[in-house]
Amino acid sequence: MTAATDMTRIPGAAPAARKTPKAGFDLAFRNASFAAALFVLVLLAGIMISMVIGGWPAFREFGLGFITSSVWDTQNEQYGAWPAIVGTLATALIALVIGVPLSLGIAVYLTQLAPPWFKKPVGTAIELLAAVPSIIYGMWGLFVFVPLFAAYVQIPLSNLVEGMPIVGTVLYARSPSGLGIFTAGFILAFMIIPFIASITRDMLEQIPSVLRESAYGIGATTWEVVRHVLVPQAGVSIIGAIMLGLGRALGETMAVTFVVGNANRLSPSLLDPGSTIASRIANEFNEALGLQLNALIALGCILFFVTFVVLVIARLLVSRVKRY
Amino acid sequence: MLSTLELSPQTLDAEAPVRIAVKNLDFYYGEHKALKNVNLDFRDRHVTALIGPSGCGKSTLLRIFNRIYSLYPEQRAEGEILLDGRNIIGKDVDVNELRSRVGMVFQKPTPFPMSIYDNVAFGIRLYEKPPKSELDDRVEGALRRAALWDEVKDKLKSSGMGLSGGQQQRLCIARTIAQHPEVILFDEPTSALDPISTGKIEDLLEQLKSDFTIAIVTHNMQQAARISQYTAFMYLGEVIEFAPTNTIFMNPAKKQTQDYVTGRFG
Repeated sequence: MTAATDMTRIPGAAPAARKTPKAGFDLAFRNASFAAALFVLVLLAGIMISMVIGGWPAFREFGLGFITSSVWDTQNEQYGAWPAIVGTLATALIALVIGVPLSLGIAVYLTQLAPPWFKKPVGTAIELLAAVPSIIYGMWGLFVFVPLFAAYVQIPLSNLVEGMPIVGTVLYARSPSGLGIFTAGFILAFMIIPFIASITRDMLEQIPSVLRESAYGIGATTWEVVRHVLVPQAGVSIIGAIMLGLGRALGETMAVTFVVGNANRLSPSLLDPGSTIASRIANEFNEALGLQLNALIALGCILFFVTFVVLVIARLLVSRVKRY
Repeated sequence: MLSTLELSPQTLDAEAPVRIAVKNLDFYYGEHKALKNVNLDFRDRHVTALIGPSGCGKSTLLRIFNRIYSLYPEQRAEGEILLDGRNIIGKDVDVNELRSRVGMVFQKPTPFPMSIYDNVAFGIRLYEKPPKSELDDRVEGALRRAALWDEVKDKLKSSGMGLSGGQQQRLCIARTIAQHPEVILFDEPTSALDPISTGKIEDLLEQLKSDFTIAIVTHNMQQAARISQYTAFMYLGEVIEFAPTNTIFMNPAKKQTQDYVTGRFG
C-alpha cells in the first residue's frame, strides 16, 4: 500500500535540477531568527531590572510606607503611592462595572440575536473602536464629556446628596469641574469594551450550534439559554476577557491624564479629582530629579507588577476555553 | 439482500390516531427549496423512521416539528403541520411551549455545562417549580427510563460532561423525557456512538414508544428496520414512499425505494 502511494508520488521525470544550497546560509538564518526571539526575553528582563534598580532608592528610603503613605510632597522629598494606587484601582473598577455588562450585552446580541445585516457593521464598529488612539478618547472626554458631565450630572447630583450620610461623601463633588476619578473610569469603560466584547463574542461563537439548539430545543428562552448554557460553557474564558480589559484599564495613561484631574490628595468622593499611577508618572516625569524620579520609577514598578499579574491570569483563563 | 435485514416484530396498530399530520409542506433555506410538497402522518405511540441519502431533507423535516429552524431568520416553512389538530408553523404559536411538548435528541450528545442532576432538572424547572422531593423523583424516574440511573446514581452532582458519549446521549434522552413531551424527535441519535451504546439507545427507543410518539432520522437502514413501524423514504426533498416499515423493506412499491433499501444507491 505504501509502495503504491510512493509510486504515484514519484513523477516520471526528475524535478528540474536545483543549485546546491549553501549550507552556511541556512545555519545563519536559523541563528538570526533565534536571536530575534531571544531579543524579546532580553528586552523584558532589561526593563524589569532597570525599573527595579531605578525604583530601589525610593523603596529603601520609605520601605512599606511608600505604598501606604498618602503624602506626595516634592518640597520635603516625601513620597507615598497610596492615592495613586487607590485611584488606579478605583478607575479600573468603575470601568469594569460600566464596561462589562455592556460588553456582554454586545457579545450576546451579536452572536445570538442580531440579523446578519446588522451583525457586520456592529462587529466592524467594535474593531474600529479598539483602533481609536487613546489620545482621541482623552480629547473627547475633556472637551465634550467633561463639560456636559459637570453641568448635567455633577452639580445637580452634588446638590441632591449634600449632607446625606455616605452618598453625601462618596458622590459629592467639592470642585464640580467635571474632572475626576469617575470621569476617568467612565472613559476607560469605553476603551475596554472593544476588547471584552470581541473576545467574548469569539468565545460564544466557538460553542457548537447543536448545544445552543438543544438548549432552545427543550423550550428555554434566549435569556435562559444564554444564562444557563452558553455563558457557563464559555466559562472562565469570559473572565479572562474581562481581565484583559482590566489590564488595559490599569495601565491606560493618556486618556486618564486628560480627565482624572491630577490631584495629589486622596478624596473620599468618586466625583473629585484624583490621580492614577500612570497619570502621576506622565505628569511629573519631565521635571523629576533625584528621589522624586526614583519614586516615580518605583510607582512604575508597582503598576508593572499589578498589570503583569492580571495579564498572566487573563491568559491562563482565556486559553482554558472548553472545546468539544 | 433483504433477508439480512432483521425486521422487528411489527406491533403496528393501523387504528392509532394521527399525532402529527404534515400537509403540503414546503421548506426554504433562503431561495433554496429543500422540501417539496411533503405529506406525512405520524401515528401516536409509533416509531416513524425517515430514511434517504444525505441531503434528501429528512433532518430538515425533523427540525420543523419543534420549530428549531425559527432560530435562523433565512429559513421558512409553508404549508401545515398539525400537532393534535393545531398548526404549529403558524405565527401565533408559542414556540417555547411547543418545544416542551416536542422534545429533540441530536446527532451529538449535548450535555449542558452543569451537573448530571441539573441537566435533567433543567427542562422541568423551566416550566414548573416542583418541591425538592418531587423534583428528585422526576429526575430519578427520567434517568431510570433512560437506562442511566444505575450508572450515575452515586455521582448526580458531578458534571454531565464527564460521562462517556453513550452515557451523555442517554442523559440527553433523560433530559427530554423528564419534561413529559408528547413527541420525541431523534436526529441520527446513534451516528456518533459505538455499537454497544447504539444497541442500548435502540433498546431504549423500543421502550419509549409505549409512551411517546417518536420520529427518527437515521442513515442506518438496519436501524430503521429494527426499530420503526412506519418508514418514509425521502429523496431530493420529496417523500418518495411512505408505508409500514415491513412494506418499505420487503415489498416497496417504487423502484427508487427498492434501489435505496437494497443498497444500490445512496
